Amino acid sequence: DPRYTRTSSKSDIYAQLRPGTDIAFIGGLINYALQNNSIHKEYVVSYTNAAFLVAEGFSFNDGLFSGYDAERNRYDNDSWAYQLGEDGLPLRDDTLEHPRSVYQLLKQHYTRYTPDKVCEITGTAIQDYLHVARTFCSTGRTGHAATIMYAMGTTQHTTGTQNVRSYAMLQLLLGNVGVAGGGINALRGECNVQGSTDYALLYHILPGYLNMPNFDNLSLADYLEQWTPKTRDPQSANWWSNTPKYMTSLLKAFWGDTATTENDFNYDYLPKRSGNYSFLKLMQRLQEGGFEGMVLMGTNPLVGAPDVRSVAAGLGNLKWLVAADLWETETSVFWKRPGVDSKRIDTEVFLLPAASSVEKQGSISNSGRWAQWRYKAVEPPGEAESDAFIVDQWVKNLKRLYASDGVFPGPIVDLAWNYGDGHEPDIEMVARECNGQFTRDVEIDGRAFKKGQQVPSFTSLQADGSTLSGNWLYCGSYPEQGNLMRRRGTADPTGMGFFHDWAWCWPVNRRVLYNRASVDLEGRPWNPDKPIIHWNRQTGKWEGDIPDGGWPPMNQDGARHPFIMVAEGHGRLFAAGLADGPFPEHYEPMESPMVNLMSGQQSNPAIDKRGKVDRSGLYYIATTCRVSEHWQAGAMTRSLPWLVELVPDMFVEMSEELAEEKQISNGDLVTITSKRGSIEARALVTNRIKPLRVGNKMVDQVALPWHFGFTGLATGDSANVLTDAVGDANTFIPEYKAFMCNIEKGGRKS
Amino acid sequence: MSTLRRVIDEVINYHWFVKLMMLLVGAGVVAGLLRFVYGLGATTNLNDDYPWGLWISFDVVTAVPLAAGAFTLGAIVHCFGIKKLEPLVRPAIVTGFLGYSLVSVGLLLDLGQPHRGWYVLRYWNLHSPMFEVAMCVMAYTTVLVLELLAPVAEKFGWRLSLRVLRWLEMPLVIAAAAISTLHQSTLGTFFLIAVDKLHNLWYNPMLPLLFWVSAICTGMCIIILEATASHKWMGQPNEGVLLETLAKILPWTLGGYLLLRGYSLLFLAEGPFFDRPVLTLLFLIEVGIGFLLPFVMLCRKGVRLNDRQRAIAAGLVILGLVLNRFNVSMIGMMDPDNIYLPSLIESLVTLGIIAAHILFFVLIAKYFPIFEHHPETVDYSIPDPLYRGKGKDMQQTSH
Amino acid sequence: MINDDKYSQTSSFLIDMTKCTGCRGCQVACKQWNQLQAEETDFFHGEGYQNPPAMSEYTFTRIKFRDYQRHGQDEFAFYKEMCMHCNEPACASACPVAAFFKTEEGPVTYRPERCIGCRYCMIACPFGVPKYEWSKGLPLVRKCTGCYSRVKEGLRPACATTCPTAITYGTREEMLAEAERRLARAPERYLNRIYGKEDAGGTCVLYLSKLPFDELGFKQVTFRPLPEYTWAALRYVPGAFLTVGGGLSALAWITHRRERLQKEQEAQQSEGAASEQGKEDRE
Ligand SMILES: Nc1nc2c(c(=O)[nH]1)N[C@H]1C(S)=C(S)[C@@H](COP(=O)(O)OP(=O)(O)OC[C@H]3O[C@@H](n4cnc5c(=O)[nH]c(N)nc54)[C@H](O)[C@@H]3O)O[C@H]1N2
Ligand SMILES: Nc1nc2c(c(=O)[nH]1)N[C@H]1C(S)=C(S)[C@@H](COP(=O)(O)OP(=O)(O)OC[C@H]3O[C@@H](n4cnc5c(=O)[nH]c(N)nc54)[C@H](O)[C@@H]3O)O[C@H]1N2
Ligand code: SF4
Ligand code: SF4
Ligand code: SF4
Ligand code: SF4
Ligand code: SF4
Ligand SMILES: [Mo]
Repeated sequence: DPRYTRTSSKSDIYAQLRPGTDIAFIGGLINYALQNNSIHKEYVVSYTNAAFLVAEGFSFNDGLFSGYDAERNRYDNDSWAYQLGEDGLPLRDDTLEHPRSVYQLLKQHYTRYTPDKVCEITGTAIQDYLHVARTFCSTGRTGHAATIMYAMGTTQHTTGTQNVRSYAMLQLLLGNVGVAGGGINALRGECNVQGSTDYALLYHILPGYLNMPNFDNLSLADYLEQWTPKTRDPQSANWWSNTPKYMTSLLKAFWGDTATTENDFNYDYLPKRSGNYSFLKLMQRLQEGGFEGMVLMGTNPLVGAPDVRSVAAGLGNLKWLVAADLWETETSVFWKRPGVDSKRIDTEVFLLPAASSVEKQGSISNSGRWAQWRYKAVEPPGEAESDAFIVDQWVKNLKRLYASDGVFPGPIVDLAWNYGDGHEPDIEMVARECNGQFTRDVEIDGRAFKKGQQVPSFTSLQADGSTLSGNWLYCGSYPEQGNLMRRRGTADPTGMGFFHDWAWCWPVNRRVLYNRASVDLEGRPWNPDKPIIHWNRQTGKWEGDIPDGGWPPMNQDGARHPFIMVAEGHGRLFAAGLADGPFPEHYEPMESPMVNLMSGQQSNPAIDKRGKVDRSGLYYIATTCRVSEHWQAGAMTRSLPWLVELVPDMFVEMSEELAEEKQISNGDLVTITSKRGSIEARALVTNRIKPLRVGNKMVDQVALPWHFGFTGLATGDSANVLTDAVGDANTFIPEYKAFMCNIEKGGRKS
Repeated sequence: MSTLRRVIDEVINYHWFVKLMMLLVGAGVVAGLLRFVYGLGATTNLNDDYPWGLWISFDVVTAVPLAAGAFTLGAIVHCFGIKKLEPLVRPAIVTGFLGYSLVSVGLLLDLGQPHRGWYVLRYWNLHSPMFEVAMCVMAYTTVLVLELLAPVAEKFGWRLSLRVLRWLEMPLVIAAAAISTLHQSTLGTFFLIAVDKLHNLWYNPMLPLLFWVSAICTGMCIIILEATASHKWMGQPNEGVLLETLAKILPWTLGGYLLLRGYSLLFLAEGPFFDRPVLTLLFLIEVGIGFLLPFVMLCRKGVRLNDRQRAIAAGLVILGLVLNRFNVSMIGMMDPDNIYLPSLIESLVTLGIIAAHILFFVLIAKYFPIFEHHPETVDYSIPDPLYRGKGKDMQQTSH
Repeated sequence: MINDDKYSQTSSFLIDMTKCTGCRGCQVACKQWNQLQAEETDFFHGEGYQNPPAMSEYTFTRIKFRDYQRHGQDEFAFYKEMCMHCNEPACASACPVAAFFKTEEGPVTYRPERCIGCRYCMIACPFGVPKYEWSKGLPLVRKCTGCYSRVKEGLRPACATTCPTAITYGTREEMLAEAERRLARAPERYLNRIYGKEDAGGTCVLYLSKLPFDELGFKQVTFRPLPEYTWAALRYVPGAFLTVGGGLSALAWITHRRERLQKEQEAQQSEGAASEQGKEDRE
């Protein structure tokens, strides 16, 4: 962490790094592990694609991978492929000596990431860095493990996805994936952000991470053809080969009996994706007047979005805006924000009072994929209603209106919407549908099921329309015996902390993903003291956690490779899937104090925008962060006196050196300026933030909480006035964590 | 009507000093009212760091020993039988009575719940010094009232009640002395619980004893001052001879005090002592000028015989005591970089209380026979059946 | 040795500051359970994110922040101030009307209906815990109640319930044992000291820390229970009363006896003198 935080204060080793340099930092660790042979060789050879040979066409030089198209700032990734044999299987060299092996290419790629070079980029003190390297890489030994937990410090960058990739690769090399105390763990943010992703609260996926159809997937067949991965490897489970079953079951859940084999299960009803509908793009389009109306449910972009001033301006282009929220947020009163003439804004705003999480029941899924049922504690106040109620009303009214007339009424009219006629939709019925039901009496490998019965597990889902399931991942959460998400059993027979009787965990109540990688080829745990699963020779069964598929260990026939979600069955050290290259490479943030020391590419080449070293009046590195006392855009906390008392004012953390240079003392009002605008804040002068060694000079950094806005009890300027609306090449998450700014003593108004 | 007139004329003719006192008392009363209207927080400089301030330090911790003359002298005269000092007893009792009544006033202002002051009688806590003092102060004030009835009875010549009182006098005197011993010393006990708060120069387990002895010394010194002053300014008879006798006793008590103080500091207290210059200075002033100097002075006959010098010595002791009580109850517990200073209102109240003391003393001295009253006129023997006849005779024969 | 301690069964806090993240959930939970009004704050008071300025009539517990360099090392440390619920509370022994008292469950609680508002408890408390309602015309004292209202219903205090990491709650015996266990298991992570084990004669709030306690703002207090200091003097009260009273009575009796004898002699002498005169007259 660039700052020494409350979390850092609990650490054994603290290593400071410059915002936006994680790939350099981790790349250096990968290099250290390879150079010092501290990788878990056996694991790497058998469970990752290290031994695979890469196509001759693939190359990397001066920061660019093969297939780069400079006009469109995009890669054509045809050359990012394995060499295939006649049998269609990737060629391998288990000695890892072959120059085209993933292992050798990887090694070659990261030899450039020497400790000195890395520290020159990250600004980390070399001894701290080596301390981290020694300690972390020591877990490559069999029986040792380390985990990586990350959140926005990692992701909110133009290289965010590759940051995470680099963690995964390091962990694969050290044999830390699938084992107890290993893995990489995203600390997901909002309590149900995991659940919302599982249920596709993103533009490019359908529930259960099924792909959103592309405009050219004209028929279900086309769609399945493009999105069902294939492999020739008999030992690869290639789980996504079940895509047809899951997709069909989803369509059945959407359109019920009207979805039939004849009409492609109403596949035509699905909208087809013809572009990028990420948050940033939507906001851009908003500013261009591209929307007539907008519905914002539980979001407050006027504080949370990058470059909020532009977003605020954009909202004025709307004819109408519907906001469902617990509070009157900055967004819903954007028309009376400071400095605007409300009379000149004719957007009609509807604010629907929403019920909060404790005023309704339903499931939330945590970062560990545990779907936990929550009960309604109190009635919502006043006219507040649950989101389910709000959506239910919309659907029912739309159905009524479309029934009489409307263009293309099918998708709405035929929509299966059977959640009772209560005031609210019956959430239990929703959960049952998500799990899945049999649409007719069927027999599946010997077991007979009746129409309307709950599907026991996704292994029973069918592609012939005999099953429906709103989300295949949650199939098994609500079987015949009832709602398993309600369970609160605390038994832990293995002592490994699986708690199989507590709530329910997707998939199939498996608590540790890829746990078949936690055992050696004979099925013996790498670490006998902390077994997640182990193969019982007598019973010929796995014991411990629910295994990642019941197949026997690798040394027996019928075995399957551990990484069942990828076609080749092996952990990907080399991955063709991302927009910006098969290996993470360090690029500077869009706004950076220094030229990229790694290559001629200053910033991520797979992004339309070009970053540059620009010091025209912007001398300091800025990052944004949270405090435990406030929640997000602040609506939920800036109106609570008990929390306001703790953190009443917008502030900016800065080093004592910077404060001295600018003659700023603790508590002074200062003005922070970026390319987007300027805000004022109180200066929190602390030793915990230090100037960073950037190349050969020291550069100061500041950190701003982004919780403040102009409504509520505690008000203050929003940090997002300063941030840039540029996103990662894959996920388009904005680069909130690294940009350049200037600081002046005294408030804007002063 | 006409009586009112007379009163007014009377007042108008008072000495300017008396009028000034009346003014101060008035101001004090107003300040006191403000405290109740606006609350302690707004009207005083007290806060969670300084829960006790001027009112406790002066109105209680200091005022009580200043009023110690009554019991000291009572004991000296009646128990140690140094009869000729008797004429000083009454002024002492008056002072004592005023002192204690005003202590109660001060306390009531300082209490958060003055109307509950009497709860001390309702819920006992034998472990609390505060409880002990409260009980004693109430008891002792009652005693003083009874003792005071004598001059009143005399003035209006109620012979019977006079006899009863006389008969009660001795038990009262003894009770007074015993009770005073307790609370004078327990005021010191208060601060024994401030273990890690009170500075080592003052904190030591002998605090209670020291408080008691110093109270006795001060009691006598107050009398000396009062008598000298009332002779000089209020045309009361000159008690010089008596005061000299009193001054003879003082060196002994003062000496004893100094010994105890030295002993406790050397053998009972723990250092560091001189880590804070300001406190060191205050300590030196207190002990050096406040106790040592007057001790040396009073050891010399010349000083004892000379009204002025005697009074000065007595004054020094009083200063010493006041400083000592403030050092213990306030300054010695202060955090150097967060100083407490009394607010205007606090100061006005305390000034008012001092003024009231002087004022009432003057007025009482003006209207009641507290000085013009001499040993030969009364028989001190405890009325005793065996000697009743004789007693009678003697009463007649006298005059 | 802890077992036969008469306070071993009182419920106590073990606050492990090496596990405290300074999240201040406890501070808010306390205000919520006790329905304490929020304080008007401006920016921060003290180091780090510290707020409000101090414990007060509205704030029964507060996280003290330390943001400093130690041997060139960043330190960001947190200390939860609250009532220590002393085994032998100075506040209770000082209170003239026993408004403060030690419950046998452990918490030291307060009976506002008794309090006369003398503030002696504030002088007495070695930790500066009791606070006063300075704003009020007839003020009372306020302090952490140890959540007695919860504890006596078998619940844990609000702060202990909210704390995700640092606060363990149980009998004093268990908490001391647990503390010892941690000190033994990871000596390098802790100072070898349990604050509150003996401090002020032992308290129901126990702390573990890696950083020196005084650097975190802990008060250095005596190990001797504070009530003993005053009791050492108070227990002589009856004795003193009798000695002085008795002594003086005796003295008085003697002096008066002397007086009387004197008077009798004088009387006889005067009679003698009279008869003499008579004789003279006849001549
Ligand atoms: N109290 C509270 N809790 C919350 C939230 C809240 O608003 N308030 N929000 C929730 C949500 S939605 C989320 S997503 C999570 C976010 O949880 P976090 O990601 O922990 O939140 P941040 O404070 O934004 O960022 C974490 C740290 O990243 C550091 N950082 C900045 N740049 C870099 C970098 O380039 N590299 C590295 N390694 N670190 C960097 C920052 O200094 C900061 O300390 O929190 C969730 N929990
Ligand atoms: N500079 C900077 N900007 C950031 C970040 C950063 O680190 N730095 N973090 C980013 C991240 S990780 C996130 S997740 C976003 C969050 O950005 P937003 O999601 O826009 O911010 P929130 O405050 O979480 O908005 C949630 C709103 O939902 C309301 N709400 C709560 N419960 C309910 C409910 O049950 N129903 C309904 N209808 N409404 C409800 C709340 O009152 C609140 O107004 O911010 C992003 N913005
Ligand atoms: S800490 Fe203070 S208030 Fe709390 S019990 Fe001990 S003496 Fe009483
Ligand atoms: S203020 Fe109240 S609680 Fe405190 S000592 Fe006085 S009476 Fe007791
Ligand atoms: S015990 Fe109760 S009153 Fe005391 S600090 Fe904790 S929550 Fe607050
Ligand atoms: S809740 Fe626990 S971790 Fe958070 S500040 Fe309080 S004691 Fe520390
Ligand atoms: S899990 Fe608990 S401790 Fe952790 S962030 Fe959420 S509320 Fe805080
Ligand atoms: Mo988030």
